Amino acid sequence: MSLNLLKGVAGAALTAVAVLAAPLAAQARELVLYNWSDYTPPELLKRFTAETGINITLDLYDSNESMLAKLKAGGSGYDVVVPSDYMVKIMADEGMLVDIGVHDMPNFKNVEGPLKSPYFDPERKYTAPYMYGTTSFSYDTGAIKGLEASWKEFYEPREELRGKIAVLNDQVEVINNALRYLGLPLCNESPADMKKVQELLLKQKPFVALYNSDGTHERLAAKEVVMHMQWNGAAHRAKMALPSVEYVYAKEGISLWADNFAVPVGAKNIEEAKIFINWMMDPKNIAEASNFTGYMGAIPAAAPYLDDAMKADPAVVPPEGMDKLFVMAKPCDVKAKELMDKVWTNVRK
Amino acid sequence: MSDNPLRRFPGTGTAALAFFVFLYAPVVVLIALSFNSGRSSTLWEGFTFDWYGVVLDNPDILRAAKNSLIVGTISTVLSTMLATLAAIGLDRARFRGMNAVNSVIALPLVVPEIVTAVATLIFFLSIGLKLGLGTVILAHVVFCIPFAYLPIKARLEGMPIAYREAAADLYANEWQTFRRVTLPLLWPGVIAGAMLAFITSLDDFVITYFVAGPGASTLPIYIFASLRMGVTPEVNAISSLMLVVSILFVSVSAWIGRRSK
Repeated sequence: MSLNLLKGVAGAALTAVAVLAAPLAAQARELVLYNWSDYTPPELLKRFTAETGINITLDLYDSNESMLAKLKAGGSGYDVVVPSDYMVKIMADEGMLVDIGVHDMPNFKNVEGPLKSPYFDPERKYTAPYMYGTTSFSYDTGAIKGLEASWKEFYEPREELRGKIAVLNDQVEVINNALRYLGLPLCNESPADMKKVQELLLKQKPFVALYNSDGTHERLAAKEVVMHMQWNGAAHRAKMALPSVEYVYAKEGISLWADNFAVPVGAKNIEEAKIFINWMMDPKNIAEASNFTGYMGAIPAAAPYLDDAMKADPAVVPPEGMDKLFVMAKPCDVKAKELMDKVWTNVRK
Repeated sequence: MSDNPLRRFPGTGTAALAFFVFLYAPVVVLIALSFNSGRSSTLWEGFTFDWYGVVLDNPDILRAAKNSLIVGTISTVLSTMLATLAAIGLDRARFRGMNAVNSVIALPLVVPEIVTAVATLIFFLSIGLKLGLGTVILAHVVFCIPFAYLPIKARLEGMPIAYREAAADLYANEWQTFRRVTLPLLWPGVIAGAMLAFITSLDDFVITYFVAGPGASTLPIYIFASLRMGVTPEVNAISSLMLVVSILFVSVSAWIGRRSK
């Protein structure tokens, strides 16, 4: 009797699990968006659903690498992902992206400038631009004045900044901008050049309070540090909280990066994904996203819809001629990467 | 004079105090900052309940919370059922390999979570199971079993066999004995085990992170992804709410355990 009872209960339990594990057939049209955290306005997604009848499920990730790992580890079922420039190249080369013919979409006509045909997807077959930005450094003009628009102020700081600088925990950004400051080529394969970079970073280290990429805007706004390497959108957010924050366009050049919409292989709702991507290239929609994130979309026609605070902030809308300082770094070869790793390990230990 | 032998060692009280401060100060700070009117994670700017409103108004947080509750509830029910069956099945059983069976049941407690996570993911992919809420529930059922099993087993071992023998003397069959005698006496252990299983499921990050598919993000995953923007008051508020739930469940579990002795 008890054996039958055990069998019955165990059978019921296993049946319940099996039912739960089986994917349920979707009734309505839907779309699963896999995006960075704090990068998608909830109201915008609600409006998309209202206008198109497509329900959106939003999942979040914290880095390009964790998104890639999830997709490689069988995370099929995501319909739209948002990889950065270098990650698009990696994913496209590995055959992980669907050719959705972005260049043929009606709203692609709104895309202008260097992001119309970027190195990572020159024909815009796989990706549509979402947000783009730059990486430089910001500082509190209330705490220190008269700084030159140069990486010198960041890598060879003034004595009063000892222990008051925060650096992104990002070896590519830190090393690339150091190479720019030293006038050396990026993706550098020369051990002698990279030794100079290492010496520069070790000399800077006593001035560094921490290496951290999380919540950079709050750290600066709360005056925990005086200077912070950061993305321009984070600088804008910091300025909203602390108006004395200034974003520097370093004369030696600064990093340009771009996040993009793409459809991964294994996506179930490709047509819905195309509708969403085209919808997001509408000036009004991308402007709403820009107002939320503090970053710009690659659609100049969105300018009239931007918040006044966005338009007025040089960190977001670069002053005339500053865009010539923007350099989009391409992924480096193995030798350069190994040297970068070595330098970063020595600096961080 | 206290008979506590630790009292003879000078500095024990101070060390204990330092230990508890080290353990709980971050928790107290986290809760306090969830009521901070400013967005700073370090500077106090005033008192407000606003962030809890923001949390409860965020559809993504609510979806993650709903997923956490679905996973927690279903995996708790299933793991507690299986743990109860295992405890009863193994109660007073004597066979070769008995210790090995107990060790296997307790294995998820000693195997590093990252190992379990990777192994579970590989297993799911190899049998062609699509990652989603179902795979999260399956994984949680497995690692919650020992948490439910141990209190139930302990309760069962402390239960005099005379009660069941008396029921048999009164012509109760096995099912009647189980329903009328064993289960009512076992119930506090089952509840305590279920609560431990629920909290373990609710708080799990590593295994969930590996086996969750589209739309299956739980609160710990949401919190982790949100940290890219820094430890904001919203994150503090969600964490505080989870903490309150955890403390509540653990306290009730401990109270039931004490009361039933």
